[in-house]
Amino acid sequence: MNILITGLITGSMLALLAIGFSLIFGVARIVNIAHTAFYMVAAYCIYYLSVRVGLNPLLSMLTAVAAVTVLGLLVYKFLIDPIREHEGAVLIATIALAMVFQEVTLRLFTGDYRTVDFLITGFFTVGGVKVFYQQLLTFGVVLVTLGAVWFLLMKTRLGLAIRSMAEDREVANLMGMNESRLAMITLGISVALAGLTGAVLAPLTVLNPYMWMEPLIIMMAVVVLGGLGSIKGSFVAAFILGFTEALVVFLVPKGAFLKGSVALTIMILVLLIRPEGLFGVSFEEER
Amino acid sequence: MLLEIAHLNVRYEKAVLINDLSLHVDEGELVSLVGPNGAGKSTTLRAISGLVAWEREIKRRSAGGEIVLEGTVTFDGERIDQIPAHEIVRRGLVLCPERRRPFREMTVLENLMAGAYLLRDRQKCRGTLDKVYYLFPLLQQRSRQIAGTLSGGEQQMLAIGRAFMSDPKLLCIDEPSTGLAPLIRREVFDKISEISRLGITILLVEQEVGVVFQMAHRNYVLSSGKIIAEGTGQQLLADEVLRKTYLGL
Ligand SMILES: Nc1ncnc2c1ncn2[C@@H]1O[C@H](COP(=O)(O)OP(=O)(O)O)[C@@H](O)[C@H]1O
Ligand SMILES: [Mg+2]
Repeated sequence: MNILITGLITGSMLALLAIGFSLIFGVARIVNIAHTAFYMVAAYCIYYLSVRVGLNPLLSMLTAVAAVTVLGLLVYKFLIDPIREHEGAVLIATIALAMVFQEVTLRLFTGDYRTVDFLITGFFTVGGVKVFYQQLLTFGVVLVTLGAVWFLLMKTRLGLAIRSMAEDREVANLMGMNESRLAMITLGISVALAGLTGAVLAPLTVLNPYMWMEPLIIMMAVVVLGGLGSIKGSFVAAFILGFTEALVVFLVPKGAFLKGSVALTIMILVLLIRPEGLFGVSFEEER
Repeated sequence: MLLEIAHLNVRYEKAVLINDLSLHVDEGELVSLVGPNGAGKSTTLRAISGLVAWEREIKRRSAGGEIVLEGTVTFDGERIDQIPAHEIVRRGLVLCPERRRPFREMTVLENLMAGAYLLRDRQKCRGTLDKVYYLFPLLQQRSRQIAGTLSGGEQQMLAIGRAFMSDPKLLCIDEPSTGLAPLIRREVFDKISEISRLGITILLVEQEVGVVFQMAHRNYVLSSGKIIAEGTGQQLLADEVLRKTYLGL
């Protein structure tokens, strides 16, 4: 039961992170190493606003997501966009960016562990396991968001353009889709999703300036397992990894430290056996 | 004149792909551009639809090889050689690219709607979709099927249908018959003639000279990036040297 709950929550959050990461990779071929760093920034934003400033927690969350999105767009405009076609440079720039976020956070908030209060307190027990209302709330918000993202991608004109751009950007251009505008919008959505993940996770975890590294590795494993650029793949793989992680932590006594290595092992195995992942298309040259 | 290309030059690094090419297409015409493999037919279409400039920009930003693109392209009375690909479509110059290139992961209907991306007017979009379904009843039957699972011929119909959804004044089609069985080729050419009869101007790139010369009002023969002959099918076929050397007939 515990595994189920942890697996579901971890899985759904990984899915949210991985989908955001996949989206911007698909549309603009940007490998955003700083993706989970945005998630950390959002979490700290909430901590600052709700604990230090004393703002209403819900308002803090909304502000945090908005702030992170704006931060993401600014970074894109001035740092990423000028070097967008240079994959190596983008990789290095986003690694540097994650480091900067980490160091700035370290400066501002020191390395001490921080916590954010639950939005709603209390719990109920199912099969002898405590389920906190906060866990339920987080899970609910994440599910609703996943649904909203799905709707956006599959049922709207913008979503169609994003998918077209991700599948064949040259042909998408031929249909009149504006590449740089779509890249900008997609980046906004992607970072907003990372921010939102940070926001709903903040009450369930302890904050520290290095909290972006572990999810980054696991998220990468999700993306590799699901197939780079495949939204459906990210979704399925996120739950597979979420449950694997919960299982390992549950079965191996004091196994929490193994989480990262399990993810890495899965990633390496997939790369060796089936590099295109579960749903990925094998890489075809664009011309 | 609907389309006028004047002194077009395209070079990739040192290679000359298009060498001082000039041609024009009048309103309502079906004009073909034929020539052997590697003559520069696709490059010509890519140049006028903005893709060469797009590629040049990518190369420049990623510090890749240099692309030179010179000459003027006038469409519907306006210069379009300096505007980006996604704006050129809006003016009515639409390219149905080589190798069909459907969005393989999407359904047939989604592909068509992607083609209609710029048609914000719902009424008009619906009307255009009806026309496409009328031209290609098969696409209506298969509207929910994933495009990647269609046969080659069906994918070609889809590619043309999708381009049609962009509401073209000039429809450029790049090698629609390549890789298809003879019977299917016939069908594809029939559809193109039908679109032409609807009043849409067409610039058709092909290898299949025999059929194309019968369909097209005028033809250009391209070899090594240069136009070497122009005329009706009859005129071109009357030229013994041209027939043997370039048309392989
Ligand atoms: N991206 C490219 N870089 C360098 N050379 C190219 C590129 N694309 C095409 N070419 C070369 O340009 C020539 C013309 O190509 P293309 O326009 O595709 O010919 P066609 O469509 O008539 O077969 C060919 O020799 C081809 O090898
Ligand atoms: Mg060609």
